[in-house]
Amino acid sequence: MHIPRRAVAAAAVLATVLPLSACGGGSGADSSDASGKVEGKITFQTWNLQANFKDYFNGVIADFEKKYPGTEVKWVDRPGEGYADKISADAAGGTLPDVVNVSPDLVAPLAKAGLALDLDKAAPKYRKEYLDGAWKSHQIPGTEGTYAFPWYLNTGPMFYNKRLFKDAGLDPQKPPTTYDEVFADGLKLAEKSHGKVATLANVPTIEDFGRYGGQLMNKEGTGFAFNDAKGVELLTHYKELYDAKGLDSQALTATPESSGHKFLTESVAMNPGSALDLANFKKQAPSLYKNIGITDQVSSTGKANMYVMGVMVNAQSKRKPAAVAFAHYVTDATRQMEFAKQVAIFPSTAGSLDDPYFTKEDGTDVTRVRVAAAKSLKTAVNYTPVLFSEQMKTELRNQIAKALQGKQSPKEALDNAVKACDRLLQQS
Amino acid sequence: MKSPSPTTAAGRPSGRIRRHLPLSPWLFAAPGLIVVGAFSLYPFFSTLVNSFTDRRTLVPGSFVGLANFRELLHDEMFWTGLRNSVLYVVGVVPALVILPLLLAMLVQRHIPGITFFRSAFYTPVVASIVVVGLIWVWMLDDRGLVNAVLEAVGIGKVGFLSDQWLLLGSAMTVTVWKGLGYYMIIYLAALANVPRELHEAASVDGAGVVRRFFTVTVPAIRSTMVLVAALSSVSAFKVFSEVYLMAGPSGGPAGEDTTLVMLVQRVGTGLSGRVGYASAISVVIFVVTVGLMLLVLRADRKEDA
Repeated sequence: MHIPRRAVAAAAVLATVLPLSACGGGSGADSSDASGKVEGKITFQTWNLQANFKDYFNGVIADFEKKYPGTEVKWVDRPGEGYADKISADAAGGTLPDVVNVSPDLVAPLAKAGLALDLDKAAPKYRKEYLDGAWKSHQIPGTEGTYAFPWYLNTGPMFYNKRLFKDAGLDPQKPPTTYDEVFADGLKLAEKSHGKVATLANVPTIEDFGRYGGQLMNKEGTGFAFNDAKGVELLTHYKELYDAKGLDSQALTATPESSGHKFLTESVAMNPGSALDLANFKKQAPSLYKNIGITDQVSSTGKANMYVMGVMVNAQSKRKPAAVAFAHYVTDATRQMEFAKQVAIFPSTAGSLDDPYFTKEDGTDVTRVRVAAAKSLKTAVNYTPVLFSEQMKTELRNQIAKALQGKQSPKEALDNAVKACDRLLQQS
Repeated sequence: MKSPSPTTAAGRPSGRIRRHLPLSPWLFAAPGLIVVGAFSLYPFFSTLVNSFTDRRTLVPGSFVGLANFRELLHDEMFWTGLRNSVLYVVGVVPALVILPLLLAMLVQRHIPGITFFRSAFYTPVVASIVVVGLIWVWMLDDRGLVNAVLEAVGIGKVGFLSDQWLLLGSAMTVTVWKGLGYYMIIYLAALANVPRELHEAASVDGAGVVRRFFTVTVPAIRSTMVLVAALSSVSAFKVFSEVYLMAGPSGGPAGEDTTLVMLVQRVGTGLSGRVGYASAISVVIFVVTVGLMLLVLRADRKEDA
């Protein structure tokens, strides 16, 4: 069959131009009105929770549907790996579920794109039910509003290997709790073990700079500031530790998983974790479990870092009243308390941390970790800036690695990291 | 009974069939065309168009001309990625052209139990790259099997996973190891077509094993070697999994082992992904890949001439 050249050319031009037609401005319509009857079918997406908490969530959904006749909740769960990419694809494709489990750093771009419902406008009456700090964790510098209900909080203790401390002549009952103590003990551990035992398995993250007392962002939230004197001081200490082999040789490419593995195999003496890890130590490394020490998170500010999970409502949802009602239902004090009894997490609702479940020890390690974590959460800070994206984390990590390798000074490394992160912030 | 003839005496289609003929080929081809159009052509053109925009994951973006390509020129990580991808081709392709050929010649012989070895050499091909990558990471770890052996023989620990160049070399080793079986099968098919008489004649003329390899085997399977070179160079230039698994998401110490495809993944994915910029890197990868293919084919043509 003969196809005219003109038709072929036209098809080619169309194929090139059509995708361009998708480029344009976003919708600026106000979509924060969530008033109306709670009814209809909504979708609820969680982050890697189905495998272990299927019964709990099915129960919550059944209770909600019973409380609000005419509603139907479809629950979908996505694996932890690639969760942000899945949300990206859904958001870009217009298929974002009505209610989504998010972390603050995931909320920021969604809110900027007008996809996260502003709860200060849509559901201000619920604000008083939550801890003030937790509610604020889903606010974005430079914009007004709160874009997710706070859900569970978490913070973890620092685990350490008592045997390795003892072998190095350190007191296993007095583990380091500030960065200065970590560096001092780390140098001693490396020296006594002739470089065979490192104290830490990973390079510092943005949270470390926060816990060291450095400033992370400027007050306006328009630029990063972790290249201040405190930041440079912290990185300089890390460099000394790295040179003395007090930082694991594979720290520059480490992931949280590989760091955990190093601690399991007793090649590093300290590793941050959560109460969930205890069972893992007991099962996978009984010799380590016998020597396990548990202490507070390393912090020079006296405040621990906390991680916040949230539940966001899709601003484009066609069933906003039901979506808001369900997001609140999942995160209210009753449901959070029930969930906390299923797994080692902590409620973000006001007063819940005063429950005897979080204040009374029964002599076991599990309750000791739980009570200590709940106590530290009362003053804890979410040190990860909401606007600090994955790409920024990589930039910081790579510049730190260059400083540790001696390719640039700690000051140069942090200046470069701030410059790169500011550029990414401008582009976001 | 006389069966109806679809053509006239002059060999032209009958009226009924002729009416439908112009559309028929397209109807038959439609399923394939739709799949190719939806999953190859559209993404290709879309990437091309995006490379001229500042599109981000959640922001449609606008036309920025060649700004993304200009930015590439000043992006240190892009040059690092390009260097590593080119090094990967240089390191992996010669090994994947030569080693599978030697392996194929080895297992081509009909000796008892050879089927087991053929299967064994092919096993890495069917194994999941993630599983394979993790196994190699465990083996090459500071406290892994390989370092334990090296320490036992007095060489001492080697930082396979902490040194930038050793990491890249380790990833290349995994690529070669995993690809051996695949290309071996291609060579086995080619070797089966080399006439035995040529070898016999060369033997009668006094040619030894090495001489027969260069004067009989290589010329006979040269087109297959070119094919293997082309296939392996394209896949080596686009390497992702091996380096990602062994060097980690940050691309090795200070990102020094990042390859171009890793950079596309890092820059273009996530909620803050710069789709436009990642598309520009993808266009560069496409151009270099096509260039590599043309280079290999041109080299083959020169040999023919």
